[in-house]
Amino acid sequence: MLSLRLLHAMMKEEWRLHQSLVGPMGSALFPATIFLFTSFLALVAPRVLSHMPTATILLMLHVASVLYGLFVGSFGAIGEHVMTGRLGQVSMIMQMPQTYPVSFRRMMAVFYAKDSLFYLLYSYVPLTLGLAVAAPGAGVSLGGVAMLGLTTFLSFMMGMGLSFTLSAVSVRSRPLWLLLNAAVAGVAALVYPLGLLPPEQIILPLAYWTERSMWTLGASSVTAVVLASAGVALMKERYESRESRSGFSFLDAESLFGFTGGLSTLVAKEWAEVRRAGALAPVIMSFAGHLLAIYGMSWVFEAGVGVSLSFNVVFYSGFVGFMGVMTYSFLTNLEHNEYLNVQPVSVDMVVKAKLVLYFILTAGVSAAYVVGIGLLKGQLSLVPLGLLLAGATSVYVVGVTSYLTGLWTNTMFFDARVILKFCAFVVPPMIVTEIAALMMPMRAGLATPVVVAVSAVLLLASAPLLRRMERRWAAVPFSFVNAGG
Amino acid sequence: MHAIQAVNISKSFGSVRVLDDVNLTVAGGEFYGLFGPNGAGKTTLLRVLTGQLAPDSGSATTAGVPHTDPIRLKQRVGIVPEAETPPTFLTAQETLELTCRLRGLENMGERVEHWIKFFDLDEKRDVLCRDLSKGQRQKVMLAAAFIHEPELLLLDEPFINLDPIYQRRLREYLQGLASEGRTVFMCTHILEIAERLCDNVAFIHRGRIVEQGRLSEVSHGESLEDVFLRAVEGHQVA
Repeated sequence: MLSLRLLHAMMKEEWRLHQSLVGPMGSALFPATIFLFTSFLALVAPRVLSHMPTATILLMLHVASVLYGLFVGSFGAIGEHVMTGRLGQVSMIMQMPQTYPVSFRRMMAVFYAKDSLFYLLYSYVPLTLGLAVAAPGAGVSLGGVAMLGLTTFLSFMMGMGLSFTLSAVSVRSRPLWLLLNAAVAGVAALVYPLGLLPPEQIILPLAYWTERSMWTLGASSVTAVVLASAGVALMKERYESRESRSGFSFLDAESLFGFTGGLSTLVAKEWAEVRRAGALAPVIMSFAGHLLAIYGMSWVFEAGVGVSLSFNVVFYSGFVGFMGVMTYSFLTNLEHNEYLNVQPVSVDMVVKAKLVLYFILTAGVSAAYVVGIGLLKGQLSLVPLGLLLAGATSVYVVGVTSYLTGLWTNTMFFDARVILKFCAFVVPPMIVTEIAALMMPMRAGLATPVVVAVSAVLLLASAPLLRRMERRWAAVPFSFVNAGG
Repeated sequence: MHAIQAVNISKSFGSVRVLDDVNLTVAGGEFYGLFGPNGAGKTTLLRVLTGQLAPDSGSATTAGVPHTDPIRLKQRVGIVPEAETPPTFLTAQETLELTCRLRGLENMGERVEHWIKFFDLDEKRDVLCRDLSKGQRQKVMLAAAFIHEPELLLLDEPFINLDPIYQRRLREYLQGLASEGRTVFMCTHILEIAERLCDNVAFIHRGRIVEQGRLSEVSHGESLEDVFLRAVEGHQVA
């Protein structure tokens, strides 16, 4: 009974937090956008993916759901922050075990249930309804769509449970966490690239589509519950306070970034946050990981259309900037910056410092990626053009992201209005450059000037964005949620 | 010259009117106390006066700078906010160094050492702020507000989380500032301390200033606590 009451209270808390961050309209538009986007994709999919087997499409949808769950479920590690009072001014129901007779494990179990319910209602229900709109045209029954919604959600729950358990283990034992990650990677390797296990033996909900047995759904549900329960059981009930000291000083970092001129103080602060939060490797690895994921996307497109499009180095370079959005978002999540509310600093100045650090952290990876693909494909002559496009898209896309979302990228991307503006700014140049890149083997004389021209336009368009950053963000306080009193 | 002048300030959050046509004047060199029950609007008023929050209507000038120019305003004053939130991933010493840099101060080393010693933070100078106790974090926030020796200080519950030793040390420091002719504007619920420090007071209730003036004139010989209760609840305490 207590758990149900806590669940109800947490759902209200989540809803109100969401509304306070993106407003009632933005909050309501998010599931509506998912519905419309899914409807559109589902309507065009039978034509675009006509050469792709149904089994491959199902595999992709379920893998994407598992990855989504893995991304969402990494909150097991936040227990330490909650229980040692490191959430700053944020006060949430989950902090109750500090002062009330309720165990932290119970609270995390309720939190897990709340997140599951929230993502079901906010993502999977509108996604399934979007698919249902296109079902008659695609010759799929509504029952089939409902089952697809169910199996993808179960895949999401398995990913979330696994991620939750791994993050709970990471707090207890780093070596064990590494071992378990290696085991998960090993099992995944058995499926791909080794091909020793069929994917449905790992992603159990996928087995429903090969065996059409309700037992597979039962087994999937049990697995998701077992994984979540393991995560809850592994949560620590007590956390010891600690005193962290740092191996380098803020002033050393400021000297290191002296070349950034007037921003060196704030860039040094950002650097200290990245290093001391243990985020340096994750930031770089996630950026590189996203770039590598483009190979997967290009494979999907090639397999779906059924025509070899011989993706070249310029094609891959065009994605570099677009992959930077997640990295910039990561950088904005490390610190609340409330201290700066009382200093002569404005949000736009911190945004600029984050942009500088973003480019410092990613420029080398971006260049290595473009040069590496040029070497692999024997297209070194196209590398300069690729570097130009990669640089231009990086500056432009991350510039647009920071202009639209400031220091709250993760939160504001839940606002459908922001997402729509972002797409309007970013998708058209992306389409033009990628089509030009694909045309390059046939009509290099036309495609090359197009890529150069679009790159130049993107760079020129970035300048006013950066100039207007001050007008956009200077008057906004660092603390995003206002409190009266 | 007025250190602070607020004219017809109103501010709402959603449907809740937190400040309702507030007028307030603080002369230079005053030690001014703002008191009110929880949720009365003290912190919101302080945030408006320090350029952290724009009012819906009205205007404020603090240290000669209008609220519409928050960077210059914050450069001129020292602010201690309601919550002790120094940078999570900087140490106590680094927080003060960052503050000196952001304010373009000279003699950074001397200033930092002075305040580290003043608040006895020597052993904790290299500890990340996230791992300091609330009291230690409050000391860092106070040191950061004082480090540029501003002419005007705006303090929201400055004594919170401090032990009696440092409450006393802070009280004496603030008294010293006032005797030098600097201005202190303070919100606090610790009325015993406020009574000893403040020359002028204002009481805010449900977003409106309900009484203000010199403490000696407002109190009529009563304690500040009695004046507070009378002003806020309209109760005549015997």
